[in-house]
Amino acid sequence: MKRNITLNINGEFYELVVKTNQTLLDVLREQLGLVGTKKGCDSGTCGACTVIIDGEPFLSCMTLAIRCKNRIITTIEGLVKNGQLHPLQKSAMEHEAVQCGFCTPGWLLSAKVLLDNNPNPTREEVRTAIAGNLCRCTGYQKIEESILAVAEGKVKGKIN
Amino acid sequence: MKLPQFEYLEPKSIGKACQVLKEQGGKALAIAGGTDLLMALKNWLKTPEMLVDLKGIPRLNQMIYSNKNGLEIGPLVSLRHLANNTIIRNKYPILSQAASEVGTPQLQSMGTIGGNLCQDNLCVYYNRSPMSRQMFDPCHKLGGNVCHAVKGSKTCWATFCGDMAPALLVLRAKVKIRDSNGESIIPLSEFYSGDGKKPNILKPGEIISEIRVPPLPSYSGGSYFKLRLRKAIDYPLLGVALNLTMENKEGICKDVALALTGVERAPLWIKEVDRLKGKKLVEEIIEELAEAAHKQAHPLNNICELTPAYRKDMVKVYVERAFHQALKVAKRGGQA
Repeated sequence: MKRNITLNINGEFYELVVKTNQTLLDVLREQLGLVGTKKGCDSGTCGACTVIIDGEPFLSCMTLAIRCKNRIITTIEGLVKNGQLHPLQKSAMEHEAVQCGFCTPGWLLSAKVLLDNNPNPTREEVRTAIAGNLCRCTGYQKIEESILAVAEGKVKGKIN
Repeated sequence: MKLPQFEYLEPKSIGKACQVLKEQGGKALAIAGGTDLLMALKNWLKTPEMLVDLKGIPRLNQMIYSNKNGLEIGPLVSLRHLANNTIIRNKYPILSQAASEVGTPQLQSMGTIGGNLCQDNLCVYYNRSPMSRQMFDPCHKLGGNVCHAVKGSKTCWATFCGDMAPALLVLRAKVKIRDSNGESIIPLSEFYSGDGKKPNILKPGEIISEIRVPPLPSYSGGSYFKLRLRKAIDYPLLGVALNLTMENKEGICKDVALALTGVERAPLWIKEVDRLKGKKLVEEIIEELAEAAHKQAHPLNNICELTPAYRKDMVKVYVERAFHQALKVAKRGGQA
């Protein structure tokens, strides 16, 4: 049961044939090769597959691709603008907030949604925003610090 | 994980959606946020031939508030919207509190209030992958005739673990149920069946089309407390919602409502609270109330974490916490 759809991902329009039962995650990774979005638990718990849809954090493993027409999707690949890393990405590197790296794309996007809506979050608000992103290396301290550093303007570059 | 195959339909009106769902009988399922349904599909617990998407139906994601009529919430309003909306936070903080406790920020963006009310009951013997289900004989919820959670039981004991239902219950919410012929309004307390196998009374072709919350009088306050291992992700192992209204600042109780989740096959409405009406809210009365809730709570060993005995003990603690928090809000004279 296939359908033709157009998806708007990172500002590009993709004409695709998808199965009705395909998740957005599988379409991103397997059809479009956008493998920055990770498949962790594939059951809505770990947050590794987080993408931004219409400005809100979504789990792409729990979203049917066919329901994403006419929506604006941002994946981790979309954070880079004109070859420049997003300040959150720079900050993650500067603060060594990346260990194995598997959860990184997910929490970066959760953090982007947070800062887009609340440019000056408290530590508690940062923790709440990334509560849906499990880091099995448990490097949460540095993740928080790297996000707070961006909010405090300590990292160069445009947030939006 | 591989999902079953299904047709996908996007009706443009609620009438059409109800009609298709009715024609298909149980073979078609409605999808709102999809967070609960997708997991059931991934585990092949549900294998519908068709999904009927409610997202494209106009006005189902709208919310209207007036001082006179209170709140009218469309079933497709997201939990994230409820958690962040200024009016809800001021007028019905218990709702924003409960919504912000559901799952994770991601699941709150995706999940809807109508979907949360229709969330299926949970049981470790049911919510498993197809392969690990083979370890057990099919239970009642899977169409078999045994219950692994309550040995010898002739009915299903899967537990209701929704967060929004108790909060809406204590606000005396009503739900509008729409089918292809028309609509009816019932109190939310009549929406749940108490059957773990089929937790609510909706028949194929029926959809919640609106949730109505009456306006709150002054000196009214509510709170929701949720027990779980992690501060995010988990379903409630116990949830306690309490709303109370006082005559005035002196603490004479005009109205109080208490509901629990995670400890029965339906959200549990504690009726003893009626005895509090007209009384001064002192510690002994609150203890009595906590005792009544404790007696009625029936947590089972069918949710992974924490023992039933511990969860039952925590009922008293959480009722008292919820009570003091609600009292604090009520004493401030307003809702926020």
